[in-house]
Amino acid sequence: MIDLFLLKNAMRDMTRPKKLVAALILVAGPALLTLLLKTFRPSGAFSPGAVYDVMSEKVILGFVMVILSVVFCTSVVAQEVEDKTIVYILTRPVPRYRILTVKFLPALFVTLGTVWVSLIAAAVAAYGFTGIGHSHLGRDLQIAPVGVMAYSCCFLLLATLLNRPLIYGLLYAFGWETWVPNMPGSFQKLSLMAYLRVLAPHATPDPEDVDLTQAIQGITQDEISTRMAWIVLITVTIVAFGAALAFFSRREYVPRDAE
Amino acid sequence: MIVLEHASRWYGQVIGINDVSGTIGPGITALLGPNGAGKSTMMKLITGQLRPTTGKVEVFGEAPFGNSAVYRRLGYCPESESSYDDMTGRQMVTMLAWMAGLPGAQIDKRVADMIDHVGMTYAADRKIGGYSKGMRQRIKIAQGIIHDPDVLLLDEPLNGLDPMGRREVAQVLHGLAEQGKCVIVSSHILYEVEQMTSNILLMHRGRLMAQGDIYRIRGLIDSHPHRIAITSTQARLLAQILISRPYVISARLDAIDDRKLEIETRQPDMFYSEFPSIVDSAPGMRVERLYSPDNNLESVFKYLVEA
Repeated sequence: MIDLFLLKNAMRDMTRPKKLVAALILVAGPALLTLLLKTFRPSGAFSPGAVYDVMSEKVILGFVMVILSVVFCTSVVAQEVEDKTIVYILTRPVPRYRILTVKFLPALFVTLGTVWVSLIAAAVAAYGFTGIGHSHLGRDLQIAPVGVMAYSCCFLLLATLLNRPLIYGLLYAFGWETWVPNMPGSFQKLSLMAYLRVLAPHATPDPEDVDLTQAIQGITQDEISTRMAWIVLITVTIVAFGAALAFFSRREYVPRDAE
Repeated sequence: MIVLEHASRWYGQVIGINDVSGTIGPGITALLGPNGAGKSTMMKLITGQLRPTTGKVEVFGEAPFGNSAVYRRLGYCPESESSYDDMTGRQMVTMLAWMAGLPGAQIDKRVADMIDHVGMTYAADRKIGGYSKGMRQRIKIAQGIIHDPDVLLLDEPLNGLDPMGRREVAQVLHGLAEQGKCVIVSSHILYEVEQMTSNILLMHRGRLMAQGDIYRIRGLIDSHPHRIAITSTQARLLAQILISRPYVISARLDAIDDRKLEIETRQPDMFYSEFPSIVDSAPGMRVERLYSPDNNLESVFKYLVEA
């Protein structure tokens, strides 16, 4: 019952208008971009499959999902610490791991929900309601939870470890996850996105459209097997979540300026 | 109920509390000290928000950090004004009542009773964001006592309360103490504490300087020469009159402003009771300002440290 009450409160916190508006903008962005391309490109030059694949891989799974995970999952702890209300919940007879788990679940659901809505909206914008069956939407919807879980758990860990997790999370999202998946050799294996792309492959661009950098990547990047991708993403999720629970249970959350 | 054994807590190079030992039992105990004395650190150690760097802190025989068994019997009212501003007072107290493990069937009634107990029924359904400092303080106290704890810690609970509010809070705390609960109140204002309890822990720069009866400390303070600054239209004449009094040790005119005078006395109560008649007896004398530079805890502690 305590868990249900906490869950309800955490859900209410996650669905504050300010957060929802930001999520809505991120959700609607890819679909609007697709509609713009559809409207202004000559009918023969618009390929729904190619546009959806780019939107799905590069924009939604590659950007929107990571940003939403950063924003929602780092705030699970950071919001209470910044508001200095964490003292109220940490001095109650509820084990810390339960508090963190219950506060994390709504963040996870809201992130996943918005990513799903974004994927569906982009697919509808590209194919229309009738042609949606020809897209990779079904597979993307199945793989999205894997990515959301992996990123969310990593950012939750960050939130339990650092005082300003949002800044470090955004640096990771915009820096590491933008550049590392595109690096040659084995470097890409240091990025979660590289594994996610193996599980949800999208159409590669037409060879004539490939630029030199992409061509070099194609030649020099080590291949990641589907099995390896599953193992890495599941391991990262479990380890990050376990570590977050352990750190949250042991860390002292007292703002220094309070003394 | 609470035991500290050579407990120290450091924040990197900065000291929080240093080698503090003592026990705290039922009744009201005041944790007294100027800002930065280590009162809040001690509260955070007892409430298990912090762990001691060295030494031991035990509540009901157990280390309190992250200990649900301790939290079931412990209530805490933090100093920070922060609250769940987008919740109403009732919602916040209800949420924390759930988290305290109160049976669901009793919660609504218990919440209503406690809110009424702190005199907040009229504003319980308003958002905390719109509360005054005193209203926040009362709601914080309500959440602290909602689960009827055996130990209640209140960090500067009288901050922001008007005299009536202070009296009401003091009554609530006395009620708890009479039930055999252990109530610890921190404050940096001596007279505030005097109204609540005579049992004090004196802290200064992280150290526990004295523990015991406030009147003994008061005696020490009163035997210390007490300075009183006066601004008067006839400061020189006033100095002449006052120096003839046996309880005045010295009188010194200000070198720059001849309307200012500073006296030292070992019996401030005697001085304050006689002073109005002294002024009345001198024709044309007007006192523009009268204050004591020693009337703060910092100077009391300075004296105690030097003594």
